[in-house]
Amino acid sequence: MLVFGAWEIAGRIPISLAFPTFGETVAALLALIADGSLIKAYASTLQPLLIGIAVSAVVGVAAGVGMGLSRSLEWLALPIFIILQAAPLAAIIPLITYIYGIGLTAKSLAVILLATPVVVMNAYKGIRNTDPSLIAMGRSFLGTRTQQILKIMIPHARGLIFAGLRLGLAMGFVGVVVAELLITPTGIGDLITYHGSVANYAEMYASIVSIVALAAVTIGALERVERRLFRATGAAA
Amino acid sequence: MKKHLGTKSFFVIAAVFTLATLAGDALAQTKTTKIRYALGDIVTHDDLNLLIALDRAKARGVEVEITPFKSEDLATQAVINGQADIGQGTPYAVIQKLKAPVRFFYQLSALQFFPVVDKSLYKTWKDLDGQDIVVHSRGSGTEAIMSMMAKHHGIKYKSVSYVPGSEVRALAMLKGNIKASIVDNTNKNLLMKEAPDKFLVLPLGEIKASDEALFATNAFLDANKAAVGILLEELLKVWREINKDPAFAVRERQRLGLLKDLPAKLEGEVEPYFKQAVAGGIFPNDGGLAGAVKNDFEFFTASGALQGTPQELKADDFWNLAPLKAALAKVGG
Repeated sequence: MLVFGAWEIAGRIPISLAFPTFGETVAALLALIADGSLIKAYASTLQPLLIGIAVSAVVGVAAGVGMGLSRSLEWLALPIFIILQAAPLAAIIPLITYIYGIGLTAKSLAVILLATPVVVMNAYKGIRNTDPSLIAMGRSFLGTRTQQILKIMIPHARGLIFAGLRLGLAMGFVGVVVAELLITPTGIGDLITYHGSVANYAEMYASIVSIVALAAVTIGALERVERRLFRATGAAA
Repeated sequence: MKKHLGTKSFFVIAAVFTLATLAGDALAQTKTTKIRYALGDIVTHDDLNLLIALDRAKARGVEVEITPFKSEDLATQAVINGQADIGQGTPYAVIQKLKAPVRFFYQLSALQFFPVVDKSLYKTWKDLDGQDIVVHSRGSGTEAIMSMMAKHHGIKYKSVSYVPGSEVRALAMLKGNIKASIVDNTNKNLLMKEAPDKFLVLPLGEIKASDEALFATNAFLDANKAAVGILLEELLKVWREINKDPAFAVRERQRLGLLKDLPAKLEGEVEPYFKQAVAGGIFPNDGGLAGAVKNDFEFFTASGALQGTPQELKADDFWNLAPLKAALAKVGG
């Protein structure tokens, strides 16, 4: 409420002619929902987001677990993911278009490039940091390697794996918006670009608020799922 | 003795005052006025005419510092929020909707775009009926031109996609990802040079609306009449020189050492660019004046950037022609 109040005051001063009040932004958001443009935009934005997140989750967890289990895979892949994590991806994303064009593939790839490294690194750290005494205990009970992985390492690492998925989801939202702003304006990126270019600033801010709110709600929901799962199994996140 | 010293002192003081006044006047004359110029793009060879005019204005004590921005929107915001003095673009929607105290005062160039199609698929405008086309962005001039042509030829596109940047669309056309689009002069030349047998330029009726215009706040224009006057005089002179002889831009670039880092590949494109621009009549000799206002109102209401009809709109709400008229009175015409 404090933030919204401050926003309303800042818009009324105004701090900039292009800065709408909170009330105008809410009204614009409702108008965008009512005329169907926001729903249409999300139908477009969610495609690369869902594809990118799904690929990042599967590939990221598999790669992270693999790197945690295998020293040679770690040697091969770790530098790549460290570089990807540190690279200024906003500068790299336009380069994707040279190879993959300007369509869904390029945008999904942008999501994958942003989301995967954090998923990989968390899964890798989770496996690698398994308590050695637990593994020793598994061995002393004559547990096979598969049993060690499935019954000790992965359950031990799942807190970090889930944290990685949550961070990956957040990065995915960043990736899809950056892709839609930098590659071609579609979906929510189109709403932001278009309304900015024709000086409909309330609609522009409403579009930005909507994607921030959606990201926050989705990440919050994933956190709840995580808590419920771990409470059910008695594990700590 | 006392009286003699007094007279001498009087003359010394008078001489010092005279010298100081003369020196002050000289200093005032050489004093440089700085203008912060917001450009919503990178500086390239098609800005050479502007750079020549700015170089001349600098010699007359008006130093213009260009800051390139990522987009025209950001450049416009910089002017509105006071981080820049002059902006370049056509932010009619911002002026109308925000009632921003910003006015256009010089038309740098009129629109010059070329609808280019893959000629193995399309030969005429009619062939684009029910086809996919790609333009710069929603609500842009390129979209407006393509919509006007569709209306004119009684056709309807299947879809309109948006890919910002003529150079990006041209690259995608060369790669075969885009079959029909609209690009600027430089990129039309690139396409025709790289794949002359692959593309065709569709004919376009005469569109004379502003592509680039200068704008500033009324407060800035009122407070900096002399500096703005010098800038406009030099712009008018350079524009007229280029309209007389497009090679003037190439010669002046070499003489003044402008755009030294221009890639060799682009050097050969400078003269053709200015020749075609002059042939297309995109550089006004008079800075636009009422003709630019009328053409802009017609085009930008049709494009949707301006609301209302051209007859309802008032020139004074968007343009401040007083500095241009004063400059024209000095340079003639």
